[in-house]
Amino acid sequence: MSSAGSLDGFRVLDFTQGLCGPFCTMQLGDGGAEVIKVEPPAGDFARRMGPPFIGDESAVFLSLNRNKKSVVIDLESSSGRETAARLAREADVVVEDFGPSAATTLGLDYAQLRAENPKLIYCSITPFGEEGPLRHLPGSELVVQAMAEYTTSLGRIGDPPVRVGADIASLNTGTFAAQAILAALFHRLRSGEGQRVAVSEFGALLHMRGIMWSSLSDPDDWYGFHLDHYIKPPDYGYQTKNGSFYFILRRGNSEDWDRLVMELGMEEALADSRFDDYGRAATSIGRYATEVKPIWEKAFANRTREELVDLVKSIGGDAVPIMEYPELLAHPQVAALEVVAEIDHPTAGRLKTVRPVARLSDTPNSIRLAPPTLGQHTDEILRAAGLAQDG
Amino acid sequence: MAKILEGIRVFDLTIAAVGPWATTLLGAMGADVIKVEAPGGDRLSHMVPPTIRGNSVLYISANHNKRMIELDLKKEADRAIALKIIEQSDVFVQNMRPGAVERLGLGYEVVAKVNPRMIYVAASAYGRTGPMAGEAGIDPTVQSFCGWCGITGPDHGRGEIYRHLAHLDLTTATTITQAVLQALIARERTGRGQRIEIEMLTAAMALQTTRLAEYFATGEQPAPLGSAAAATAPHQAFECQDQRYIAIGVERDEQWPGFCRALKLDELICDPRFATNRQRVVHRAELASMLAERIKTKPAAWWTIRLNREQVPCGPFLTFEELRNHPQVLANGHIVEIETPHWGSMHVDGLPWKFEGTPAGPIRAGGKPGEHMAEVLAELGIVDDRRAGASK
Repeated sequence: MSSAGSLDGFRVLDFTQGLCGPFCTMQLGDGGAEVIKVEPPAGDFARRMGPPFIGDESAVFLSLNRNKKSVVIDLESSSGRETAARLAREADVVVEDFGPSAATTLGLDYAQLRAENPKLIYCSITPFGEEGPLRHLPGSELVVQAMAEYTTSLGRIGDPPVRVGADIASLNTGTFAAQAILAALFHRLRSGEGQRVAVSEFGALLHMRGIMWSSLSDPDDWYGFHLDHYIKPPDYGYQTKNGSFYFILRRGNSEDWDRLVMELGMEEALADSRFDDYGRAATSIGRYATEVKPIWEKAFANRTREELVDLVKSIGGDAVPIMEYPELLAHPQVAALEVVAEIDHPTAGRLKTVRPVARLSDTPNSIRLAPPTLGQHTDEILRAAGLAQDG
Repeated sequence: MAKILEGIRVFDLTIAAVGPWATTLLGAMGADVIKVEAPGGDRLSHMVPPTIRGNSVLYISANHNKRMIELDLKKEADRAIALKIIEQSDVFVQNMRPGAVERLGLGYEVVAKVNPRMIYVAASAYGRTGPMAGEAGIDPTVQSFCGWCGITGPDHGRGEIYRHLAHLDLTTATTITQAVLQALIARERTGRGQRIEIEMLTAAMALQTTRLAEYFATGEQPAPLGSAAAATAPHQAFECQDQRYIAIGVERDEQWPGFCRALKLDELICDPRFATNRQRVVHRAELASMLAERIKTKPAAWWTIRLNREQVPCGPFLTFEELRNHPQVLANGHIVEIETPHWGSMHVDGLPWKFEGTPAGPIRAGGKPGEHMAEVLAELGIVDDRRAGASK
């Protein structure tokens, strides 16, 4: 017996491509919405983002498009635009990333669609926001990370910039778009009113670094981890005999601290004021963490990561190994939380995917459909809508 | 105009960063967020430097759009007050270590009994099952654990921690906000509240879904690539003649001819080594070294003009001082300066969404611990015998 999802019965018409919009609409699909992914005849450009590919599909595309139905519509033809507009009449939500004013040219902007569907929720996603001198420019993951100052927290001063490895501009923005749509749906349930909502990748990343702007705007002193990280060297955690780990001492008492110091043979720390208060300022975001790291690492050199994780935990600290994907995915905690789900794809075989994050007890998120092949549902959707397929 | 979450009250029992940022977002949408702290406030976030006029920026930043009250939940009288607020609330958010909230007598079963329409969020680092159930976690420990560091670093160099130690906190917070909205929609349709569980670890892995997909496809750990993207090329930073770096991102095949024209390398447009994204990724190193040589011959401004003309994504590496006065940032309110009740004016993050029918915001700074105690209790019709004399 399967429970209904929170968005069962809602229909989303999704004109987006790439990473950001598709991550948004995948989350709506996870919630139970029917997501109709409108693709150009060549397909979403993310289908070509790679290698790696599995069969004909890129791994990137496969990770962002479950719980959707693919319909090919050529928006460059007037009949294609008419078909899209007809589908929008039956939709609860339209999501687009055509770029400023492009939707108007296509006859698919909010004003035109609302005329036929007054309760519509219409979400626009842009790189830099809908106002301002850059509103017409295209963006990319790195361009947005760079302009939002994200790379200043990585690498070494004077060296080439280092990006955040995950696609955060795209994916975090996709989540904000999903939030905006959900909030607008909630409002519609209460008031009967639709509306237009908008998010931008630049705005999303600048929002997520807000604590930095407050830290930088008028601080009492240039001190504290939000400011220090601009000038700190790269942080690799703590090197041990067999890999690295990370730890923080949070609940110190003298008995535990003495035991840790004795066990590690770090008696020198007892006379070093930087280790005062049971080492609280000597690890993680502590004031002296960077400068005393060599003292810790000398003590860790002949111990294994596992021993050290256990030792720190035994005195009430937090400690974890620094892991790469093979080790992470084999970890029993990842298994216990069932983070990785599997689904059968028509051409790519059995796929692994990260499950929907939130577990809702009464209206669970779910994975029902594999990522679609290009145009897999064109006939089904157009026939159900009473529209002949456009050649 | 009505706010989108007008009339929704949030009982906010959050600590540190993950929970507080989630309820800040709900407050920005118009929910009445009542942040409940132990007397003296949330110790962890009040102690973290840097400070503004003596107050932790973390505490200020993570508690906008709320009213602040203090309750000692270990005392029966204060727990009774909490339950009266819970009766009149719609959403309950807590991110204590699993088990801690149950010890305070405010676990899901207790709360749902008092208020069956309650949407109850339990957020934690590693969940409540498995060998690490109940372990605490913060941004850098979850970063370390979740594979995040292995994909970030200099080209084929050592993986490193993202030193802005909040991104995974905020990512988890946004997941909470989203799940609460889902549950509010469900409640409008079913009349029932529910329990929501969210782990930072899962949120952190979902944020890496495109990178994990590479690993699932190949069985090989993706290496750090410096500034470069893994699945698109050219998509990286290049150093210009004036020693500035420019970020360039060709993500779509249709951007490639324009990119080549902008660099006056038209002969590459149809070069079979580079004609499609797939080919460019395969020949990434060869392509990057040709482009680096070319881009080094002119200043960043020149390439910016030419790439903009061809609608190829590009941009500079900006700093806060450039951002806070940047016309794009100002026009969209991406960063805004607000007046606060106790800490002067400060720059804060703008809202991540725009609602044309029911505008969100404006952002209001929260307050000091307990500042709104009397106001909140009076409004909810709750009599507090112990404080009746003192609050006058």
